[in-house]
Amino acid sequence: MSYASLAFAGFVALALVLYYIVPARFRYVILLIFSYVFYVMACNKYVIYIIVTTVSTYFIARLMERSDVSLKAALSKEGIEKEAKKALKKQNKSHKKTLLTFALIFNFGILAVLKYGDFVIANINLVKLNVFHSTSFLGFINPVLPLGISFYTFQSMGYLIDLYYGKYECEKNFLKTALYVSYFPQIIQGPISRFNDLSKTLFSGASFNSLNMKYGLYRIFWGLFKKLVVADRVAVYVTNTIDRYQELRGVYLLIAVFFYSMQIYGDFSGGIDITIGVSQLFGVKVTENFDRPFFSKSVSEYWNRWHMTLGTWFRDYIFYPITVSKSMIDLGKKCRKLLGEALGKRVPIYIAMFTVWFTTGLWHGAQWRYIIWGLLNFVIILISTECEGVFGRINGFLKWEGTFIQRLFRVVRTFLIMSFLRVFDLSSAGISQALFVIRKSLTDISLPALDMMTELGLDEKELKAAVIGIVIMFVFDLIQRRGSVTDRLMRAPLMVRWSLTAALVIAVVIFGSYGPGYDSRAFIYLQF
Amino acid sequence: MKDRIIEMLEAIHPGIDYETTGSLIDDRILDSFDVVSLVGDLMDEFDVEIGADLMVPENFNSVDDIVALIEGLEG
Repeated sequence: MSYASLAFAGFVALALVLYYIVPARFRYVILLIFSYVFYVMACNKYVIYIIVTTVSTYFIARLMERSDVSLKAALSKEGIEKEAKKALKKQNKSHKKTLLTFALIFNFGILAVLKYGDFVIANINLVKLNVFHSTSFLGFINPVLPLGISFYTFQSMGYLIDLYYGKYECEKNFLKTALYVSYFPQIIQGPISRFNDLSKTLFSGASFNSLNMKYGLYRIFWGLFKKLVVADRVAVYVTNTIDRYQELRGVYLLIAVFFYSMQIYGDFSGGIDITIGVSQLFGVKVTENFDRPFFSKSVSEYWNRWHMTLGTWFRDYIFYPITVSKSMIDLGKKCRKLLGEALGKRVPIYIAMFTVWFTTGLWHGAQWRYIIWGLLNFVIILISTECEGVFGRINGFLKWEGTFIQRLFRVVRTFLIMSFLRVFDLSSAGISQALFVIRKSLTDISLPALDMMTELGLDEKELKAAVIGIVIMFVFDLIQRRGSVTDRLMRAPLMVRWSLTAALVIAVVIFGSYGPGYDSRAFIYLQF
Repeated sequence: MKDRIIEMLEAIHPGIDYETTGSLIDDRILDSFDVVSLVGDLMDEFDVEIGADLMVPENFNSVDDIVALIEGLEG
């Protein structure tokens, strides 16, 4: 059931009625029931995987809590020496570490086998063939990937890591833990919420609030606009063009490259808007995942504003743990001695960054093109960090530091880099296809013909609708810079408010790109 | 402890008045390379373990913040 479907609207409406009928203290149970109904409808018997993750998360969390309680009791005994206290703390930490390690290996193990098992087997077979000239290949697993497995695994493991650090207390109610893992509005494509953020409103059973309803509905329709008017419309052109990438002139590929950036932004951020909007209807506050990424002035800034919850997950649970690990600290010291302070201190950070970007690539898909895509991001960020001085001197020479022109240049440059990097994401035939598309789109430039655009899925009317949709999307982002657009809309005169609301609803209904049988395309991040 | 921490900071990034500056991270006086180097030195010097959860600007914005961090870990 897609978030952009009438079936989902009906599902949410039914959940809302029941949610507000039952007493506040049971409302989270309604959300849990609907989350599991949603999951079973999507995954059938494969619901077992999310149950296994939930159960293991719950019990490991409780065991870590028990360990902390025992420590507290031991420390509160009178006359205990400072050294003894230190030893007790160390022992507790070690015990919690064992529990956490088990949970991480177990849950990431499930994810690894299901998502990456066949990728590993394919590569082993390739090595066997090319290195050992053996044709006794390993058989593929061909597993069914449960819905949202990357999202709920990352979210649950983030929760356990936070508990290990003692950031907050664990959830003692099993059903609430189950809801945190499976909450249906965010199960398809995130965001990856932190327990201390989401739990504040997820379990509170908010009272009915008309303002929440209004804000939620606006957000949902804005998400539908991005998904149905922009993303699904340009998706037709992008798919058709990439399917015929070898025969088409470069200009059509170039348009597809830019349209794909719009598609993925409209699709993913639109889906997140729907998630946040639906949650708001239930009085649940979900973390924002986008902050107008296409206005970023550098690639690293872009990644601080795109899929933000994934970025902060990698920062907090991979980047920092690597950089401050004992082995990396020791390596850093050795490098500082060997290579000098300036160069040596960079080594641990760059190793951690490499790991993060390798993992980011792998997170997006079990294929080499995703890994290359991730590592290219790493290389660009590394170059921009190392060349900061050179860029500073160039800016000084051009005397444009801080000017609008410089900001515009940097924004356009970032957009171009990110759009071309996305070609690796788009090229399902692999790295050679991606390189071919990039080369041809940059070298085979001519004026596009409307006939060909029509043949590729965008006739004049469709093209106009797509371009206007994209412009509206960007203008909205531009206005958003000065504060919430919905807040402004709420303060606007009644006539303006109603007119804009009607325009948004009509745009979605009339100009939405509805696929065969009025079934919208699956969200791109669904596959992750 | 405070003097020793200032010495470490001087070795990593000299020429800053560490006694008075209270926004070492916010003003980007120390970058992530400096902070990771400092963390390694602090762990060695004071025999403490600085976990990834403590890698937040509030713990490194001033010498007093760093002292408070170490004292918290020692306690």
